[in-house]
Amino acid sequence: MSASSKGKGGARAGRAKVDELRQAQQAKERRSRLILIGAVTTVVALIAGVVGFTVWRDVSTRPSLDAVKKFDVTREHTTEPATYEQSPPVGGDHHPAWLNCGVYPQPVPDELAVHSLEHGAVWVTYRPDLPADQVTALEDAIPDTYMVLSPREGLPSPVVASAWGTQIELTGADDPRLEVFIKEFRQGPNTPEPGAACTGGSDGELPTTTG
Amino acid sequence: MSGSPAGPTAPSVSRTTLVVVAVIAALVGALSGSWFMHTRNSPPSDFGADAGFSRDMQAHHAQAVEMALLVRERSDDEELRTVAYDILTSQQQQAGQMYGWLVQWGLPQTGSGEPMAWVGEDHAKAHTRPDGTMPGMASRALLDELRAADGLAAERLFLTLMIAHHEGGVAMADAALAQARTTEVRTLAAAISSAQASEITLLQRMLDERG
Repeated sequence: MSASSKGKGGARAGRAKVDELRQAQQAKERRSRLILIGAVTTVVALIAGVVGFTVWRDVSTRPSLDAVKKFDVTREHTTEPATYEQSPPVGGDHHPAWLNCGVYPQPVPDELAVHSLEHGAVWVTYRPDLPADQVTALEDAIPDTYMVLSPREGLPSPVVASAWGTQIELTGADDPRLEVFIKEFRQGPNTPEPGAACTGGSDGELPTTTG
Repeated sequence: MSGSPAGPTAPSVSRTTLVVVAVIAALVGALSGSWFMHTRNSPPSDFGADAGFSRDMQAHHAQAVEMALLVRERSDDEELRTVAYDILTSQQQQAGQMYGWLVQWGLPQTGSGEPMAWVGEDHAKAHTRPDGTMPGMASRALLDELRAADGLAAERLFLTLMIAHHEGGVAMADAALAQARTTEVRTLAAAISSAQASEITLLQRMLDERG
C-alpha cells in the first residue's frame, strides 16, 4: 500500500510540485526583473532630476539683462560741443581724443567718454551721493582696462552702466547685473572699433583745439 | 529536485541582468565617447587656460605698448626708440591675434574671474601680486612717473619697468605653454616666451650702459 501509493501518487505529486516550483521560480524571476528595471529607472530618473535641477537653478538665478536698452547712434568726430539724446550718452558724435580708461573721482566730459565707448570701454557712472563704500565696491568690481568709472549728476538710477549703443540702469554697486553687462559688452560685438586703445588719450581735460 | 527548477530559470535572470548591464555600458560608452569628441573639437572653455591667457596677455601687452609709446615721445636715443618701436608693433599685432581667437571661439573678451585665475589655484598666488594684478604689470603711479620723466630718466625707468614686464610676460607665457590646449595659443606662448626672454638680455645691457 504504502509502496504502491508512493510509486503512482508520488509521481503525480512530484509533477505538481515541479509545476509549483517552476511557477514560483518564474514569479521570482519576474519580480527580480521588475526590481532591476525599477532600480535602473529610479537611478536614471534621479540623475536626470539632479542634472535638471542644477541647470534650472543656474539658469533661474542668472542675472537677467532684459533691462538693457539699445540705441542707434552716430559716430562722427567733432571738436564742437556735442549734445546727446541719452544721459549718460551711449554713443554719438564725439571728440577726436578719447578718454583714458580708469577711475575718475570727478565727472568726465561726455565727448571724450563716448569716444572710449567706441573703442570698447564700458562706462560705469554713479550718483555723486552714492556712499563711499559702494564707490569702492564699484572700483573693485570692474576690470583694470577698458573701463571708465566716474560720478555723474542726474542719473535715472544710483548706478548706470553704458557701452556703445547700449545701457542698463542698476540699483547699486551690488547689482549682480553689472558683472553680466560688463562681460557681455566690454569689447563686445557692439564695439565699432575693436582693438583701438583706451590709453594714450586724454586724462579728462577736454583738449582745447581750434577747429 | 533542487537542481531542476533552478536549472532552466537561473540563466534567464542573469541574461536579463546581462542585457541591462550591456545597455547601460553601451549608453555610458556612447555618452563619454561623444563627450570626448565634443571637448576635442569644440572651442576652448570660457574658464580654461586658452581663453584666460588670450584675455590676460592682451591687457599685459597693452601696457607694454603704452610704455613703449611713452618712451618714444621722451627719448632721442635711436637704439632705444627702435627697441620700443619693435615692442609696440609686435605686441599690438599679437594682442590682435588673441582678440581674434576669442571672437572665433565665441567667447567674450571679459573673463568671469580674477586675472590669472586660469593658471589654477595652486599657481595663482605665485603668478599674481598682492593687489591681484598680473605679473610684471607696472602700477598706475609708476606709469605716471614715466609720463612725467624725460630723457635719460625716462629711458632708465622704461628699461627697468620693461624688464620686470617681460619677466612677468615670460612667466605667463610659460604657464600657458604648460596648460593651453589649442595649437595657436601654444605656438604664440612659445614665441612670446623666447622673444621676451632674449629681449630681457638686451634691455638689461641697455640699462647697465645708463649706469
